[in-house]
Amino acid sequence: MKAIETRKLTKKYKDKTAVNGIDLEVEEGELFALLGVNGAGKTTTVRMLTCLSEPTDGEGYVKGHSIKNEKSAVKRIVGISPQDTAVAGNLTVRENLEFMAKVYGFTGNRVKGRADEISEVFGLGEVENSRAKTLSGGWKRKLSIAMAIIGEPELLFLDEPTLGLDVLARRELWKSISGLKGKMTIVLTTHYMEEAEELADHIAIMINGNIEAYGTLHEIEEAAGKQGLENAFVEIAERSMGK
Amino acid sequence: MSRIIAFTTRNIKEMLRDPLSYIFCLGFPIVMLLVMTLVNSSIPPEANMTVFRIDNLCGGIAMFGLTFVMLFTALSVSKDRTCAFLVRMYATPMTSSDFSLGYLLPMLIISVVQMFITFTASFVISLMTGVSLSIPGILLSIVTLIPAAVFFTGIGLLFGTLFSDKAAPGLCSVVISLGSFLGCVFFDADSTGGIMLTVCKCLPFYYCTKAARSAAALDLSAENLLIPLLIVCVSAAVITALAIVVFNSRMKADLA
Repeated sequence: MKAIETRKLTKKYKDKTAVNGIDLEVEEGELFALLGVNGAGKTTTVRMLTCLSEPTDGEGYVKGHSIKNEKSAVKRIVGISPQDTAVAGNLTVRENLEFMAKVYGFTGNRVKGRADEISEVFGLGEVENSRAKTLSGGWKRKLSIAMAIIGEPELLFLDEPTLGLDVLARRELWKSISGLKGKMTIVLTTHYMEEAEELADHIAIMINGNIEAYGTLHEIEEAAGKQGLENAFVEIAERSMGK
Repeated sequence: MSRIIAFTTRNIKEMLRDPLSYIFCLGFPIVMLLVMTLVNSSIPPEANMTVFRIDNLCGGIAMFGLTFVMLFTALSVSKDRTCAFLVRMYATPMTSSDFSLGYLLPMLIISVVQMFITFTASFVISLMTGVSLSIPGILLSIVTLIPAAVFFTGIGLLFGTLFSDKAAPGLCSVVISLGSFLGCVFFDADSTGGIMLTVCKCLPFYYCTKAARSAAALDLSAENLLIPLLIVCVSAAVITALAIVVFNSRMKADLA
């Protein structure tokens, strides 16, 4: 079974088509990068796949569950770290983790145990008693991702996880994301080419709501006839816009 | 149920860690009690004006304090919406009723704590000023004010759902002003009569104060306690049901 499968998935807002009938397949256990400039439709795609937005047309399946008709089943197996670092500001890092663990149904000692595990995975120990609102951007992102995986999701969606971070914080976060590879299927949206190059098993290039290229880094370079993802991306973008 | 408890606990912690909540929800009612007691001591006995005497004042101030819990409910909900915290939570298995109850319950707990503190301060002032204020009356007044707490928390949830964190506090300030004025916290509309009394009787605030004052005085008559209390209960049920419906429909719209 594919981790994600979409058939003509579409989202329209009045006159604007944000996602234009895309067909996607994501294998189980891989890290899949959805690459595109701002406004390409990446976040809208993630919102539909996490049941945060209703598709206008088409269908999507997450581990075989319909995103239209089996929302509860989908919500039980996905975790999302949204573009905005949505953490409870006046709660400590530890309290944020334990709160999310309880929301995902952990009880008793399992709450503490799960928070311990996740805190260790992300190296959050040194800030676990700090209030979330006092953390730096990098720590907040780490906490946000930690909150997304505390419910043991089978699929993790990371929407622009390194947006606005400095280069050191970004590299640090890449290490954390790499550490999650193989443990769950990860879908990452980004407009940083080097991020997709560094982390992704498969990449889809999204432009104006359409998937214009899909494959491994090597396959995309071959299809574009250019070396390096940035060059390949520019070539594909220009072709799709008819330049 | 465990999700509601988790969300309730989170909301209580968020509120208790905001210094403004202590100033407005706990400090302000006590300051008002002290200031109005000072005002009362300056009024000559021959004026025969008892509205600022502690046995009359305590029920009104307790009701007035609840309007600030409304403000914090609205701020809490609207801030969560603004900072995308709710978007994250929408992607979890939490349901719309988990959210509504998770916002309402902590504010009701805070309201009860606030009322206990206000009435305890009132009791101390009553001992200092030699005015009779009975403990059974205080306890009954707190119970009588619980529907009022539901009413104001419901308005907070409604405003927090409908308006941004910039607009909601402004609108709550209007309700706070209306609540104190038309709730007859600082004047006796029954003595004033006329159009003022008619206007006051058109809104639930007057009945919140009247029921609380009557309960504090152990006046259990239908006219002074039971009918006002019934009006407050109906108002609380209508507002809370409306707030939950609006929250659910806004959640559906957010997920459209």
